[in-house]
Amino acid sequence: MNRKKAIQSLLALAAVGVSSVSVYKWASDGNAVSIDALPQKKQLIADLADTIIPRTDTPGAKDAHVEDFIIKMIKEIDPKTQRHFLAGLGSLEKYTIDKYDHPFTECTPQQKIAVLKHFEDKATYSIGILNKINNKFLGTPFFNKLKDLTVEGYCTSQLGATQGMAYDYVPVKFVACIPLQKNQKAWATK
Amino acid sequence: MIKLGASDNKATYDAIVVGSGISGGWAAMELCKKGLKVLLLERGRNVEHVKDYTTAMLNPWDFDLRGNTAAKYKAENPVQSQGTNAGNAHFFVNDTEHPYIQQKPFHWFRGYQVGGRSLTWGRQCYRLSDLDFTANAKEGVAIDWPIRYKDIDPWYSYVERFIGVSGKKENLPQLPDGDYLPALDLNCIENHLDESIRKNSHDRLLTIARVANLSRGWDNRGPCMNRNLCSRGCPFGGYFSSNSSTIPAAMQTGNLTLRPYSVVTEVMFDEQKQKAKGVRIIDTITKENFEYYAKIVFINASTIATAGILLNSKSHRFPNGFGNDSGELGHNLMDHHSAAGAQGAYDGYKDMYYKGRRPCGFLIPRFRNIKGNEGLDFTRGYNIQGHGERSEWMDTMTADGFGVDFKNTLTHPGHWTVWMAGWGECLPYHDNMISLNDTQKDSWGLPLINIDFSFRENENKMMKDIQKTSAEMLTAAGFNNVQTFNYGKPGGDTVHEMGTARMGHDPKTSVLNGNNQIHAAKNVFVTDGSCMTSSASQNPSLTYMALTARACDFAVEELKKGNI
Repeated sequence: MNRKKAIQSLLALAAVGVSSVSVYKWASDGNAVSIDALPQKKQLIADLADTIIPRTDTPGAKDAHVEDFIIKMIKEIDPKTQRHFLAGLGSLEKYTIDKYDHPFTECTPQQKIAVLKHFEDKATYSIGILNKINNKFLGTPFFNKLKDLTVEGYCTSQLGATQGMAYDYVPVKFVACIPLQKNQKAWATK
Repeated sequence: MIKLGASDNKATYDAIVVGSGISGGWAAMELCKKGLKVLLLERGRNVEHVKDYTTAMLNPWDFDLRGNTAAKYKAENPVQSQGTNAGNAHFFVNDTEHPYIQQKPFHWFRGYQVGGRSLTWGRQCYRLSDLDFTANAKEGVAIDWPIRYKDIDPWYSYVERFIGVSGKKENLPQLPDGDYLPALDLNCIENHLDESIRKNSHDRLLTIARVANLSRGWDNRGPCMNRNLCSRGCPFGGYFSSNSSTIPAAMQTGNLTLRPYSVVTEVMFDEQKQKAKGVRIIDTITKENFEYYAKIVFINASTIATAGILLNSKSHRFPNGFGNDSGELGHNLMDHHSAAGAQGAYDGYKDMYYKGRRPCGFLIPRFRNIKGNEGLDFTRGYNIQGHGERSEWMDTMTADGFGVDFKNTLTHPGHWTVWMAGWGECLPYHDNMISLNDTQKDSWGLPLINIDFSFRENENKMMKDIQKTSAEMLTAAGFNNVQTFNYGKPGGDTVHEMGTARMGHDPKTSVLNGNNQIHAAKNVFVTDGSCMTSSASQNPSLTYMALTARACDFAVEELKKGNI
C-alpha cells in the first residue's frame, strides 16, 4: 500500500468515528449472504479454505472438512464480524462472476488465488495500528476471519493435527532440548 | 460416603469445614486424620477424581467448536468466559446464576464444585519469606503480620512433602527453598536467557517454575504425563487437587461426611458460650434449611465468599458480621497484578526443539527492593513468570499470504520466542473491599456481594518497572523485536484474591489472630486467602495450605486442652 492509499485509509477511519452506522450499512450491502443460507455455500467455503491451505504432500483444508467448522463458527462469532463475513462472501461471489463470468467454485487455481489476493489486499492496512482500530470498531475483516478460521479449523482437525503437523496425544516425558528431525513438523498443541 | 439431603445426616460433628477447595480440603483431611468427625460442606456439585473429568482425554477435534466456547455461553458468562475454554468451562460457575456487583471492574472467577478451584489452579508453589512477613511493619503499611517465616517453615515442608512439588533449590533468602521432587527441565531458549541473566546481574536468575506437578510417581499419583491439560482434571493424578489428594485421604479415615449442594448462609453464635455453635445451610436441591453443630468451624469458602458469609452472620454480639469487632472484615482485598511484561524473538537454536508439553514455565525470582527501599518509585516487588517456545500455528497464522508457502510456514516450527510478565505485590488498601448489597439478593435469598477494587499508584509504577526490566533482560540476551505490553487487566484476573479477614496481633485492627482464630470467637478458624495480611508477590495457594495445616494442628491441641 502506497503512502497516498494509507492516508486515504486514515481519513476513511476518521470518518468511521462519526458515521459508523452508515459504514455498517455499506458493509452489509445487497450482496450479503444470509446466515441461514450459509450451509448452501459449503462448497464455496470449502474451495476458499482449500486455496488458503491446499493439499500438498499432506492433507489440505478440504480434506479436513474445514468448511464445516467455519460454518459452525460463523454462527458463534460477534455480530460485527459475522456481518462482515456474510457481506464479504457475497461480494466475493459477485466479484468473481463480474471478473471471470463463472463462480469461484469453477475458477482455475490461478483465478482462485487472484480472487483471494484481491480480498486480502482489501482487508489489511500496511500500518499495524489501523488494522487494530479497524478490527475493534468494525469487526474482523472478511478475509482475515476466513483465514483465521481456516487455520484454526485445519490445525485442530484430526487430519491437520496428525498429518499436517505433529500430534503427541500423551507425551509421557518432557524432553526439553532435542535436535530437530528432518522435515520436523510443528507440534499441533501447546 | 456422600449423603445428599439431610435425613440421613446427623446434626452434630466435631468439626465443620466450609468449602472443599485447596484450603478446605486440607482442613478436612488434617482434622479427619486427627480423629475428628468432620462435616465438609460444599455449595456445588460433587466432582469425583478421574470419573468426573469428562473432557480430560478428548482431542481438539472431539469438541464441537474445538477449543472455543459457544456464543450463548459467552453471553451468559461475561466474566468466566474470559478465562475458560471448551475443555474446562464446566469447572467454573455460571455468571448469570451467580451474580455479583462490580462497583469497579473486577473479575471473580469461581469454581462451585467439590474441589473448588484446586481443579483449575496454576499449581505454582512458592514460599513467602521474612522479607514479606516483615514488610508491613517495616514500612508502616496496614498492620504487621502476627507470624514470621519460622512459624510457617515446617508447615511449608509438611505440605510440600504431601502434595509433591517439583522444583529446583536456588538458595535465595527472598524465596526459600522447599522439599522438592526432581525439577522439570528448561528448554534451549530458557537456558540461554538464564545464562544471560546470571552473567549480566549479580542479583537475578531464572529457574524452572516450582509446581505441584509430579515429576515422578508420588502418593499413588502421577507421574505427570506432560499433556498440559491440567485444568480439565488429570486422570493420571499428575497434579495436586483436593479431588485427587486431600478429600480421598480424608475419606479413607472414615471420619468424613461430604455434603455437596450446601450453601452456608451463616455461622451461628452462641451468646452464652461466646463462641460459634455451628452453621446454617440451604440445600440447593431441596431448598430446605438445615443447622449443623460442631465444636470447631473452619471457614474456607475462598476470600470473597468467606467474608460474605461472615458479614451475613449477624448476632447480638456481632451486629456488623461475625468476628467483625475491628470493622476490617471485607476490607483490604488484594489480588496480584500480572498484566505487564515483555516478549521477544530469538534468531538462533534453529536446529533444536522439544518434545512434550511441560505444564509450567520459568520463574525469575523477585529482585527489586530486596534490601529494603532501593530508591525506586514503588515499594515491594514482583517475580517474573514466563515461558520459551518455538512459534507454532497459533503464532505463525499471522504470517502474510496463503497457499502452499503459507501452509509450509504454518506447519513447521518457527523462531524461538519468550513471553514473560511480572506477578506483582498489591498493597492492602482499606477501601479495596467487599460488602453485602442492601437490596439485591441471589437465588437463595442471600445478599449479593459488592466488589470495589482497583490497583493504585504503587502497582501501576511497578508495572512500568516490570516492562522495563523484562525488556532489558530480553535485549541483553540478544532477543529481537522485543515488545513490552500491559494488558490492563482488572482486579481478579490473577485469581489471587486475598485479605478480607486479615490476621494481626490486635483485635482492634484485625479479624484473625496468629493462629487463624477469630479473635472474639476462638473456635472459628479462617485459613483461606482471606487471612492474608499482605499479598507478597508469590502465588499464594501453598501458603494457604501451610497455614491451614498449622491451624488444624493448633485447633486440635486447643480442643484437647479444653480451651475451645
